[in-house]
Amino acid sequence: MVKNDNGQLYTIEGFAAGLIMVITAYLVVNATSVYTAGDTHINDMQLEALGSDALRMMDIPINATESDNRHSDLRTIIENSQFDTFRIKFLDYTNESGSGPGHDIQFNASYTCRDDSSNDVQSVQMVNSRNLTGGEHTVRSTKWVIVDIGCPPEASRERAVLVEVLLWRD
Amino acid sequence: MTDDSGTLSIDFIAGFTIFLLAFIWVLSMVPGLLVNLQGYTIDYDAVAYRTGVILVEDPGWPASPPWESQQNFSVTRFGLAVSRDTPNILSQEKVDRFFSNTSVYGAFVYPDDYHQRVIFGDYPYRFNVSLLDVENNQLRSVGDVVPEGYGYIRRVVKIKGLSNATIDAPLYKNPDNNVTTHEFSILVNNSGLKEQKNPAYEIDPARDQIMVNITDLRLTISNQTQAPSVNITLTNINVYKLDGGILSLVRTFNTPYIDENSSTTQPPVEVKNNVSLKFSPAFFDILNAGSSPIFINLSFNLNNGGSSYYSQFLNNTWSSPFDYDYDTPEVTQPRLRDAMVEVAVW
Repeated sequence: MVKNDNGQLYTIEGFAAGLIMVITAYLVVNATSVYTAGDTHINDMQLEALGSDALRMMDIPINATESDNRHSDLRTIIENSQFDTFRIKFLDYTNESGSGPGHDIQFNASYTCRDDSSNDVQSVQMVNSRNLTGGEHTVRSTKWVIVDIGCPPEASRERAVLVEVLLWRD
Repeated sequence: MTDDSGTLSIDFIAGFTIFLLAFIWVLSMVPGLLVNLQGYTIDYDAVAYRTGVILVEDPGWPASPPWESQQNFSVTRFGLAVSRDTPNILSQEKVDRFFSNTSVYGAFVYPDDYHQRVIFGDYPYRFNVSLLDVENNQLRSVGDVVPEGYGYIRRVVKIKGLSNATIDAPLYKNPDNNVTTHEFSILVNNSGLKEQKNPAYEIDPARDQIMVNITDLRLTISNQTQAPSVNITLTNINVYKLDGGILSLVRTFNTPYIDENSSTTQPPVEVKNNVSLKFSPAFFDILNAGSSPIFINLSFNLNNGGSSYYSQFLNNTWSSPFDYDYDTPEVTQPRLRDAMVEVAVW
């Protein structure tokens, strides 16, 4: 039987030391997964910029003098509820590819308007390229557009509506 | 043996083994941790984004006179936007200068000239900037071939097209038959052109090229049976500025395109049927016209068999100058067309 046990280590101490290291490593791993805001959202930002660009380009008349082209495509689409045209044009803009990689971007578009008399905000679903299932990681692009439409039950007049597009990559 | 100091107990071996196993496991995680810390793709994406913003939302520097009309060494920053108020609307002149490898001011050299003026930073980035003109199905690019793994941004834009006028000469002939020298005047009314407040649709001769095509000159001659034998000579093209009520000759224009020639010919020159005039922004910039009206006068002489020939011809001295503006039906207005800018950085 050992009488002098000074300086000896025990199983429980080795186990405790190992546990401390594992917990430390776990904390470090978790800490590195917390990116800065700028880093985390680069991909989201790219998609949002693309959506904003597409909406902006759709809301610019191609010519200031020809009567047919004085209104933007987006205004004409909303005023005449040509939502299928919106789908085609929006996908043309977002999925167009030059020398870069191919894209498979999906979207869901709607607009909101305000009824002055009741102060209610009405939302109108426009069109989507694929149904949202809830699992997509979406970003939002918006654009205020001046249109001459009604916001039920209010009658038609020139007003600003907010076009909102949710985008995601498949 | 009674002196057992320095021996290892079972307890110690078990504890030390557990510690070593945990230590080795943690060490094995270190490379995985470092993978997460590699930030090069994030960095390149950010540089690509910044470059994209500068190109499509900024008109560049110097702004006036614009960088595309300057010598290479005077250009501080590239930017393709028509103005700072029109993001995503690109100027045709700026696009042409940016992607051109032949320019009267000298071509920009990849990568140094572009790096200093649009990519920025100390790191020697390689990059590729391309522009797809959707309507014309034209892809222009500057830079290296894109490798695997690069930062990328894509911007949807429109290119502001150039205005031009096509003048059917018989519509502007004088009623008087007893004339041998004829003048046709084109008015560029700078103050009137500024009435269009949106730079995306403005005709701005100091920023965008304007072009005038005069067609079917021979059809203006009264006697069409003699018309084929008449020599039409464009004697000169004088440019006048109206400043403070005083009309003064400021310069001559010596680079018209005659008939189907692809190169210019200095007047006096014989013309068969058509004359084209392309006025670069530099031409109007030198005039420093501001809001002053500019008159471009084309003078023609008619001869037949060595003697002066009397006839009607393209001549508006009896009426008013041809107004290059927003209301004249012959003037095709600037039109926006779809395009896409892609920036890849690695």
